[in-house]
Amino acid sequence: MSPPDPAETLVLIPALNEADTVSDVVRAARTLLGCDVLVIDDGSSDQTAQLALAAGAMVISHPFNLGVGGAIRTGLRVAHQQGRRYAVQLDADGQHEPAEAKRLLDRVATDGADLAVGSRFASGYRVSFLRGSAMRLLSRTISRRVGTHVDDTTSGFRAFGPRAIDTFAHCYPTEYLSDTVEALLIAGDAGLTIVVEQVQMHERQGGRPSSGRARSAVQLMRLWLVILLHPVRASRPGRVRAA
Amino acid sequence: MRLEIFVLVVACINLAVVLEFVRRRKLAESFALLWTGVAIAAFLLIVARPVIDDFAGLVGIESGTSVVFSLAIAFLLVVSVILSVHVTRLESRLEMLAEEIALLHGVRHPDEPTADGGDAS
Repeated sequence: MSPPDPAETLVLIPALNEADTVSDVVRAARTLLGCDVLVIDDGSSDQTAQLALAAGAMVISHPFNLGVGGAIRTGLRVAHQQGRRYAVQLDADGQHEPAEAKRLLDRVATDGADLAVGSRFASGYRVSFLRGSAMRLLSRTISRRVGTHVDDTTSGFRAFGPRAIDTFAHCYPTEYLSDTVEALLIAGDAGLTIVVEQVQMHERQGGRPSSGRARSAVQLMRLWLVILLHPVRASRPGRVRAA
Repeated sequence: MRLEIFVLVVACINLAVVLEFVRRRKLAESFALLWTGVAIAAFLLIVARPVIDDFAGLVGIESGTSVVFSLAIAFLLVVSVILSVHVTRLESRLEMLAEEIALLHGVRHPDEPTADGGDAS
């Protein structure tokens, strides 16, 4: 298959108060990928949206903060409405390298995978023992469920093919950690092909870590509840109306 | 008799607070009905103490007070669970509406032309 047509691809950048970094990320993405860029402004109170527009991105704004998962769902719905075949997710704080996004896109566009997950482990991604153990256990469980070995289940660096966009535009999970891990289970249910690509990641250029330790523990317990109940659960509530 | 008066006063305060919230339109009538019912039930339970003591003896609980406490806790638990379900539904609706609003406002296009060269607006 041929490399993806830039007009068929949309780069999704969820951004909440990322005025410090969003311009650079948008410019880098446009230069290196040559695709349209959509910044999903997740209720920012700073100049994120204006700066993104000035840097050449399209912008859609949430009325208030919905989290990364909500932003990605909105982004995928836009991609779906605009008839894009491919989408790739980039962090607004510069953790994801656009050149690596290109490799993820190639996996969905050229190799015909539905969902490409960028794994941080090859690049010497260092985590604490506790976190590492939690991630390994998640990886084992999720890999068994979806039938593909996914070593980095919580990575938010992903590319979506046409079938993935179609599936997730309606039911992408919005909760913290669900947006990455539960999404894999949904992909598995929908029969999507998942591939893992080892990618380089940067230290964050700005912004704050997503949560503290106590909150992480509670979120992790919530995630396990989601994983354990997933096989017997009703599917996520549908849309207000068909888009 | 002192206990009955005390409970009556508490129940009346409960009722007054609930009605005041309804008057200020801060509480839906259906919830007001629920909490009014609770106030009335609290008072009835005190008036009917001999009956409750008999009932406690019947099911093998030592004191009527324990029966009332158990029922009250069970009731509050059920109400909390129902309210959590309600909040969950509201949260998911709010999320959907926020997304709908974002999509209805539409995508704003950049000041510079987009990558496909077309005038996107």
